[in-house]
Amino acid sequence: MHARMQGLSIQPQHQGGNVSQTTFNPKKRCADVCMELLLLESVHLYKNRGAPAASAALEAIGMRVGKQLAERYTKDRPRLGETLEVIKFLCKDFWLLVFKKQVDNLRTNHKGVYVLTDNNFRWLSRSPPISSAGGDPSQEEALREVALQHLHLPCGILRGAMIQLGVPCTVEADHKLSPPACAFTIRLS
Amino acid sequence: MPIVCLAIIGQQNNPLFIKTYPEAEQDKELRLHLIVHCSLDAIEEKILLKRAPVDCFLGLLYPTEEYRVYGYLTNTNIKLVAVTNDASMKEDLLCGVLRSLHSVYVDAVCNPFFTLPSKSAVFEAKVHQLVSAMQ
Repeated sequence: MHARMQGLSIQPQHQGGNVSQTTFNPKKRCADVCMELLLLESVHLYKNRGAPAASAALEAIGMRVGKQLAERYTKDRPRLGETLEVIKFLCKDFWLLVFKKQVDNLRTNHKGVYVLTDNNFRWLSRSPPISSAGGDPSQEEALREVALQHLHLPCGILRGAMIQLGVPCTVEADHKLSPPACAFTIRLS
Repeated sequence: MPIVCLAIIGQQNNPLFIKTYPEAEQDKELRLHLIVHCSLDAIEEKILLKRAPVDCFLGLLYPTEEYRVYGYLTNTNIKLVAVTNDASMKEDLLCGVLRSLHSVYVDAVCNPFFTLPSKSAVFEAKVHQLVSAMQ
């Protein structure tokens, strides 16, 4: 069972290893499942090294990848103007290219806080939904914690992309929603 | 060679890559570096005046007595500057060169083992190929 994925160019830096880069060349393809396994394994790897390092390390990797993706995906586009256009680019084109869909909901308080909600976040599609905990609050909390660990990398990617596009900010993931839905809060600095 | 100098300047106006062609002429190198440095002011002026230009290619920034300086601003606020001594050169050709330079730059940035402004023979060779394709 291999899903065909065309033209995803992500190179997560991984302890000296190097995933082969696929560019927007239709002849080069990479199976989607490789990506999913890599993401799961990267969280697992850094988790085993101790809790404080995991989130920081994954966010750092995400920042670098986000910067590279921002360079690549804005290459042939007309210039983005102000912050709102950058956020819109993030919600539509960037999300489509990285997560295969667009953001479902964008809210802002017009004071520099944006909340992006994705009801079916692809990278959490393998996480068990909260309902499988059977109403037990401690188990639900545990499931939410697991989901949160997998969100450090996407937060880093979004933050890296925004910084590279000239909008310094911080990105937090909201784990109150039930996976696979999740919300990212972008706070402009 | 019509193109005398190519430069890539980062977001904090730090030079990432600057190369003059032909390489043998050392005395002109400093002068071209200065011209590129001055062109940064011209780029900022263009951004302020045009209120966020729609196209990445900024066109002719300013002419000096023997050179013409063209600019290109990416979405990530990276500036690409090309200096040419050929007055009759069409802007479209130069726009093409700067776009190709942008592609080469993006490919280099996506390499996790390499950060500009390090020296890289492969990167310099690719850029040199762009310049020599203009003959």
